Amino acid sequence: MQILVVEDDSVIADGLCRVMTAQGMTVQVVDNGNAADQLLQRADAAEVVVLDIGLPGMDGFEVVRRLRARGGRVPVLLLTARDAIEDRVRGLETGADDYLVKPFASAELVARVRALARRHGEPLAVLAMGELTLDCATRRARVRDRVVDLSVREWTVLEYLLQHGARVVSKQQIIEAILPWGDDLTLNAVEVYVSRLRLKIADAGVAIRTIRGFGYMLELAPAPAADAAP
Amino acid sequence: MISIRLRLLKWLIGPILLINLAGGVLAYKLAALAAPQAVPAAASAQAAADTARKQEQLRQAVLRALLLMEGVFAVASMGLIWFSVSNGLRPLNRLRADLGTREAEELAPLDPSRVPYELEPVVSAMNGLLEKVSEGARARQDFLANVAHQLRTPLAGLKTQLEWLGARHAEPATAQSVRLMQAATERMIRQTNQLLSLARAEPHHFEKARLEPLALEALVGEAIQQFVEQAARKGIDLGFELQPAPVTGDRFLLRDLIDNLIDNALRYTPTGGTVTVRCGVAGERVFLAVEDNGPGIPAARRDDIFSRYVRLDDKSHGSGLGLAIVRDIARVHGAALTVGEGIAGRGAVFKVHFS
Repeated sequence: MQILVVEDDSVIADGLCRVMTAQGMTVQVVDNGNAADQLLQRADAAEVVVLDIGLPGMDGFEVVRRLRARGGRVPVLLLTARDAIEDRVRGLETGADDYLVKPFASAELVARVRALARRHGEPLAVLAMGELTLDCATRRARVRDRVVDLSVREWTVLEYLLQHGARVVSKQQIIEAILPWGDDLTLNAVEVYVSRLRLKIADAGVAIRTIRGFGYMLELAPAPAADAAP
Repeated sequence: MISIRLRLLKWLIGPILLINLAGGVLAYKLAALAAPQAVPAAASAQAAADTARKQEQLRQAVLRALLLMEGVFAVASMGLIWFSVSNGLRPLNRLRADLGTREAEELAPLDPSRVPYELEPVVSAMNGLLEKVSEGARARQDFLANVAHQLRTPLAGLKTQLEWLGARHAEPATAQSVRLMQAATERMIRQTNQLLSLARAEPHHFEKARLEPLALEALVGEAIQQFVEQAARKGIDLGFELQPAPVTGDRFLLRDLIDNLIDNALRYTPTGGTVTVRCGVAGERVFLAVEDNGPGIPAARRDDIFSRYVRLDDKSHGSGLGLAIVRDIARVHGAALTVGEGIAGRGAVFKVHFS
């Protein structure tokens, strides 16, 4: 995945470069708005742009505005040291897709960049965590070499959880993922699918953590005794 | 505006006039009594002696009347003066009470129309001082907010670099050192964010223009991620009971409020405990409640936990600012913040009721 990082603070830029490279992304760094604007003239410059607002010369807002004015559709994640609502609103109105306030967790940034790439580009062909892999083209789940037999809805739930990596998803979100047309599906039904999935992927090195009263989160096992909830 | 002098005059003028009038009437009566005896003055020695005795009696009567009047007048004057002065000082007492009930950060000017004319220079001098003090407080808050903003960029760099370093395999001693640096950085980031929240919740920074209709349950949903990890590390069962809870408020401040209440509960609940976050509508009022089954807060200390830099447990790594921020944010939103015992008399429950 080709990422363009526009950040004038060299420590952050270097850190982002290291973190994202470790996640298998290809990172290009520029330290000012004009250079970013130049680069983004090419449609294939990046799959996702991570853009600081406070840049020397042309600021982040202006870079996004010009990009969108040219019809560029590459997703943009804004970074800012200010959390003023004006910035957030202005950023999103100008055409940015997401917004992160410094200091942020690297994992959070990577997750958001992945989510943006997924929303805008081709869906990932293979999702994986621990020993579990989901081949989205053939809709087949595997634990190591063993094929796991899943119903259509179980597959959808697992795919949704895996797409969100180690992030919390609410039961409501899962329902909307299974039934985009708003058909009637109870929260209890989601619990049933999840408990079946737990049995089927028990040996996959991943666990589905229950967030009581809210939803679920996929995480790497072994989750020690901490996960007391059913 | 009423003058103390006018007030004194108002109370004294009536009685003084009355006493003068009484004196006049008495003198008139005495003169009337003496006059008829003046004509037959030289009639006889018997009559002369009689007149002398009557005059003596009259003198004594006048003397007694005068003494009595003096006594009454003295007592009445003392009473009047005592009454007038304490009455005159009432505005000063009001002023003292007004100043006495203020919190350290309440620096609004005193109302000069509520004090007598003579006190106005004092009040305006005091208002001048209050203005300078609040300007100072404002400058201090702006400075803190500015410093906190400036710190965010280097802290972000430090955090990113340390997270990359921490994710790499290292010998145990190095890994331990990196973990400690990460913990210290996290604390610095937290403190910095707390200072910013505190500055934002200041009434003079609070902008009505930022208010927007918000769903409290969605704001709690956005806050969950970081706390799920924090709860997992401590083995705390963190749960939610979220019903629709529409409010009008400042998105960032309400997130700060939610974050601080949950963080506070997770921080003071021991390993293996339970924390439950609720929101919804009860009795036509939107509420947010965070309940834990930790050690709870003794009834005697429930008032001062919301003050800045107060910590019930000195061993904790809290800044002592979290609950002060919650209180300030609730206050600018016109919401009521209460703390009580959790279910079954264990732990604590913090509740915010929006009006």
